[in-house]
Amino acid sequence: MINNLVFVIVFLLGFYAILVKKNLIKMVIGLNIMEGAIFYWFISITDRGGMIPIVNGTQVASQMNDPVPQALILTGIVIGASTSAFLLTLIIELNKFTNSTNPDQIGGMIED
Amino acid sequence: MSIALILLIIVPLATAILIPFVDVFSNTARKLLVGFSTLVEFSLGMFIIVSNFRKIMDNTFYLTYYLGEWIPPIGITLSMDMLSLFFSTLISFSLLFLVIYSIGFIGHHEGKYYVLLFLIWAAMHGIVLTGDIFNLDVFLELLLITSAPLVAFKRNRNGTEAAIKYMFYGTIGGLFIFIGVVLVYYNLGTLNFADISQNFNTLSLFVRKIIASFFLIGIFIKMGIFPFHFWLSKAHSACPSSISALLSGVIVKVYVYVFIRLFWNVIGFDVLVETGLDHIILVVALISSIIGHIMALYENDIKRTLAYSTIANLGMIIAVLTLNTKLALLAGLLHVLAHLLMKVSLFTATGYILQFTPGHKREDLKGVAYKNMLVFVGFIIVAGGMIGLPPMIGFASKWYVLKAFMTDGLSLAAVIIIIGSIFAFVYYIKYIITGFKKMTLGPPDKFRLILTVFYRERVVTDIALFFAIAVLISGIFFKVVFGPIEGAVEVIQNPSFYIDYILSG
Amino acid sequence: MSRAKHIFTLIILSLLGVTLLVNFDKLPGQFEYANSIYHHITHNGVNETGSLNFVTAILYDYRAYDSLGESTIIFGAVSGIVLLLSRKTLPVSSHGLSFIVKRTFGMLTPFIFLFGIYIISHGHLSPGGGFQGGVILGAISIIFSIVYGSEFDYKRYSPTTKTLLETSGALLFIGLGLLGIVMGGNFLVNLKILNSGVGSLISGGSIPFINIGIGFKIGAGLAIIFYSMIQKTFKEEVNL
Repeated sequence: MINNLVFVIVFLLGFYAILVKKNLIKMVIGLNIMEGAIFYWFISITDRGGMIPIVNGTQVASQMNDPVPQALILTGIVIGASTSAFLLTLIIELNKFTNSTNPDQIGGMIED
Repeated sequence: MSIALILLIIVPLATAILIPFVDVFSNTARKLLVGFSTLVEFSLGMFIIVSNFRKIMDNTFYLTYYLGEWIPPIGITLSMDMLSLFFSTLISFSLLFLVIYSIGFIGHHEGKYYVLLFLIWAAMHGIVLTGDIFNLDVFLELLLITSAPLVAFKRNRNGTEAAIKYMFYGTIGGLFIFIGVVLVYYNLGTLNFADISQNFNTLSLFVRKIIASFFLIGIFIKMGIFPFHFWLSKAHSACPSSISALLSGVIVKVYVYVFIRLFWNVIGFDVLVETGLDHIILVVALISSIIGHIMALYENDIKRTLAYSTIANLGMIIAVLTLNTKLALLAGLLHVLAHLLMKVSLFTATGYILQFTPGHKREDLKGVAYKNMLVFVGFIIVAGGMIGLPPMIGFASKWYVLKAFMTDGLSLAAVIIIIGSIFAFVYYIKYIITGFKKMTLGPPDKFRLILTVFYRERVVTDIALFFAIAVLISGIFFKVVFGPIEGAVEVIQNPSFYIDYILSG
Repeated sequence: MSRAKHIFTLIILSLLGVTLLVNFDKLPGQFEYANSIYHHITHNGVNETGSLNFVTAILYDYRAYDSLGESTIIFGAVSGIVLLLSRKTLPVSSHGLSFIVKRTFGMLTPFIFLFGIYIISHGHLSPGGGFQGGVILGAISIIFSIVYGSEFDYKRYSPTTKTLLETSGALLFIGLGLLGIVMGGNFLVNLKILNSGVGSLISGGSIPFINIGIGFKIGAGLAIIFYSMIQKTFKEEVNL
């Protein structure tokens, strides 16, 4: 219950930042916030008892946390980092042409 | 276990990694590497077809490969059946000629262009051959990240804006697909296509509806269907013409493959029927189709017109696929083939024609027909195919689409498609007539770099003419492709065959 | 005008949020499937792969193909950034920071490097692995650029060196996979070479080598991204 509530609030905060903010870099930050919310939600709903999935002699196999979501999330973090790096490069390029980071000059997100 | 499946992905990947490595040592080795691996990749595709020809004719064709020797569902599997073979052949065929076209159009001094092109090739094959849902997400993101720098290739303001929009929309689409993967893992505990498909009916209808809607929204954002189409026209027109041909022609078709594979084999089309989602998809796709045609009518810039025409045709393909009858699936896949050939041909011809004009607007195209009459006649022929005139292949595919709509009683959809074709006639005629006007006084032609080197001009015009002739010939002999397409349609309609050959093959 | 747009967006988003929340709360609790991936890995993971860390076992053995795709994403992003940003590879000179910072980092940097190598090589025994350690290694080049000036970084590790490091890391990964084919198995099969018991440093088959390859690839990739991004944003400063 509380997992879903936190996920929905943080995800929609990130989405709000993308739709409303007047600065392209804040939009990229909003994208990262959305991704972070999904990763948090994935870990918290597949929780199984709370012991880390590394064997060191005192583990009970059925109480180890699920290692598969952790691997998927590591991949997701790397993908998010590369996407943000490339978006910031594009914003640097755009800044050279127009000297500002306002998304209205690229027509906003919902115009051609 | 067929090694050719993994080699189809590793050969372009290794080439893309070797190009900067070899570039440090010698320049000519890099050029030879590009040509060599293109040929190797294409012959791998031919080798698979030739060595399995018997089974293809019998409709019992499948290949699997267990990566790392882990059996499913523990590990990742690669699989190829008739549907994947159809799309893989389309990808290899068109990319072979697009690489040659790029050698003529862009030249060799930009090494990174070929790195990204080969990474796109590897990503597309990775999507078409995979059997695991998170692997699909990873390769979809790879396709997005390697095609975005090519959209911004010209480094002017238009290209950068287009790339920013493309990246934002694509990443958000990828996030929705990732939420879908999260829900699938939470409810089913597995990530393999065949395993999901086997156990999917044990979930309640409510959960199935949620999972289907997240995947649907994600793939529609990536494809550019109606409420999310605002990035497509700019992204497909602000890049050099060889990349426009790749984006509009080939990459959009790979998203159609993802749509088919997810919603027929993994999730199961009966989920969509029970929850009423297939009517929503039909309506949205038809709206997208008519909006594409209307916006193309208003446009004055030839590349943006062609991009809007892509949105329109894509809406038509998705609309006819949701009917789920054998004739409708046949028509949809035939139009995938037809639109790929025609759109690639139009963009390659446009790339050559635009070398003679100072800009991209309609008025700048005056008198361009007399510069090279052969290429312009090819453009006219293919434009006729897009409108739907015989004997080009566009006529055959539109005929089957209309027949599929009429046999299902959806005459409103058929009327929409005919109206769209009339609009297409109007906006293609505009450009063709302007091309034939005589230039009385005009600015001197800016000869771009491409026209000063003789072999580059030959290569570019030859590829453009080759695709135009391919449109004509495949239109006349279109019955030949019916065999493979029918095999693909059988795979789509038969998810238990898919489960059997992966889990026990 | 924009006030109305803000409030309209807030209303739409809160409606969306309420819909999602109501729907998510109706999801059933998590099921225990008897033959799910989780069961198989936690019961048989140590025997099959030889690594104590299950997350590393998944990332570099069971689903190593996903890690290949992920490292290719970084490679694609690096190529895209280099395509857009660098037309000339001239170094931009800058002062660097003050003397105290330079002297402190002169003493700290070898330990940072050692820590990075430790995390990469012990990926299968404790939390860590190729990606995490590679980021630490990439931070060293960033330290050079910020603390000592980008000209120092250019002389120490020229972009050519970084490109060579990155591509050799990637080729090591693919080479290990192809070696699996040559030795009779499938792509990316775990080669049980140099195995000296579970729990020691040299165990886990080909997992440590894949970690090394990925570590160098990520480190060099991040260094190239940072170097390309700062090239044009420093104005030409007067060299003292």
